[in-house]
Amino acid sequence: MRLFHLTLTTIFRRKTWAICVLAVMILPFVLPKISMASERPSILQPARIQAAWATVWACSLFWGLFTAARQGELNSKSGIGEYFLTTGVSSTRQLLEIWCAVMAFVAPLAVFGTGVCLAFAMPADPTERSMWWVLNLQYLTLFLLAIAPLMGLTIALASRFGGISGFAATLGLAVYGLYGVGYLDNMLKLEENPILQSIWLFSPQYRWADITQRLYFKLGVIPAPMFWKTVLYFSGILAVYAGISRLCFRTKTLA
Amino acid sequence: MTNASQPLIRLGAGLEIGYGRPLARSEREISLGGGTHFLLARNGRGKTTLLRTLAKTLKKVAGDYQAEGYTQYLPEDLRFDPEISSKAIFSAMLPKEKLQDALALAKNIELDTSKLYGRLSTGNRRKASLIMAEFSIRPNQGNILLLDEPFSGLDAYARQAFEELWRKNDSQVLRLVSCHPDYDSMPMPSAVLIDQGKITHSTEEGQTWSTLKALLN
Repeated sequence: MRLFHLTLTTIFRRKTWAICVLAVMILPFVLPKISMASERPSILQPARIQAAWATVWACSLFWGLFTAARQGELNSKSGIGEYFLTTGVSSTRQLLEIWCAVMAFVAPLAVFGTGVCLAFAMPADPTERSMWWVLNLQYLTLFLLAIAPLMGLTIALASRFGGISGFAATLGLAVYGLYGVGYLDNMLKLEENPILQSIWLFSPQYRWADITQRLYFKLGVIPAPMFWKTVLYFSGILAVYAGISRLCFRTKTLA
Repeated sequence: MTNASQPLIRLGAGLEIGYGRPLARSEREISLGGGTHFLLARNGRGKTTLLRTLAKTLKKVAGDYQAEGYTQYLPEDLRFDPEISSKAIFSAMLPKEKLQDALALAKNIELDTSKLYGRLSTGNRRKASLIMAEFSIRPNQGNILLLDEPFSGLDAYARQAFEELWRKNDSQVLRLVSCHPDYDSMPMPSAVLIDQGKITHSTEEGQTWSTLKALLN
């Protein structure tokens, strides 16, 4: 696990993770104060939920993917990947160790976001409280299942095509999966198009992992069959991305 | 049969190295055991290619070779993240029981371990990589260290410190060191030469860089 420790140390020493931690801890309290929620106390909690998860998504997509890209590129271009390869650490294991180190910083952000929702936006009604716990844990699960394969893919693409390409490609994919597919869906409802239909079919539906609105409007837990179906869907994406990532990942720049 | 605690490199007769096309070939079998072996050749003759082939990060063109032992290949351009210190690198990479010895050596050769890696001079970066590799050697088993130009940028004092360290665990560690020596009297009891596309091994008694460089065209 030497590469894991080295990557963990490298990210830790850069200290930029602290900005994300502070953002996730502070913005859910500051942003509602400067929004219209300050005048309407009834929407203070929903505004806090929205701010918490928006910050978690933004930090994960921008800082998380950027960090993953930087580490992937560093490993292949600096000779570190080649060094570890000669010591018997296979490409697959290198990818896994870098991914684990990146996730060790990204996952806590989601846990902090969930913590803010649980500690500072808990419904007063005792019957709603257990539902709130379940819904938040469902959100945490779906978020991690959606973001984790993206981190792996970013590391792999950056190791092969460079940090900027790796970061831009996966950020684009994530934004498309979160917002673009929704627009595509609306277009298809207005007019059928087999090509767009096929694109939509094979698009990653990351919007299904963003259930902020469900928390915001307190719509209750995702029914178990639908939740497990969504978990299965994201597990499928994880499997596909894991395969692509392994194929793309390089430990050195030269053949 | 080889002893697992004894490192070994064997280049079979007919081993060809290169990037797709053969760059150099060993005419006779070459066997290297524990100790320091210098790899000498002029620029572009295949020193790095041979090291990378032995490290298994580059495919051989033809023939056979054998490398037995825990292998570490230290590329010439190995570098760490510029925003971490050497001490952080050692803490992450080295076993806890070796950390103090590594830091002591760093202090002895005037490597400021608290300074960010990105702010170190070329020589000091080299020291950090070498310390990392030397203290990653596994006890109770054969080790192979493939060092690509480890002395470039290193001052004479640091070089001497490493050479002393090498003498301490000579039998357990096989070091194949590519270098361009900078003084004629440098003793080289075992040298692998690459010249005119041929890989040869020279172990003449009392041979120095002065005698060997005459063999390189």
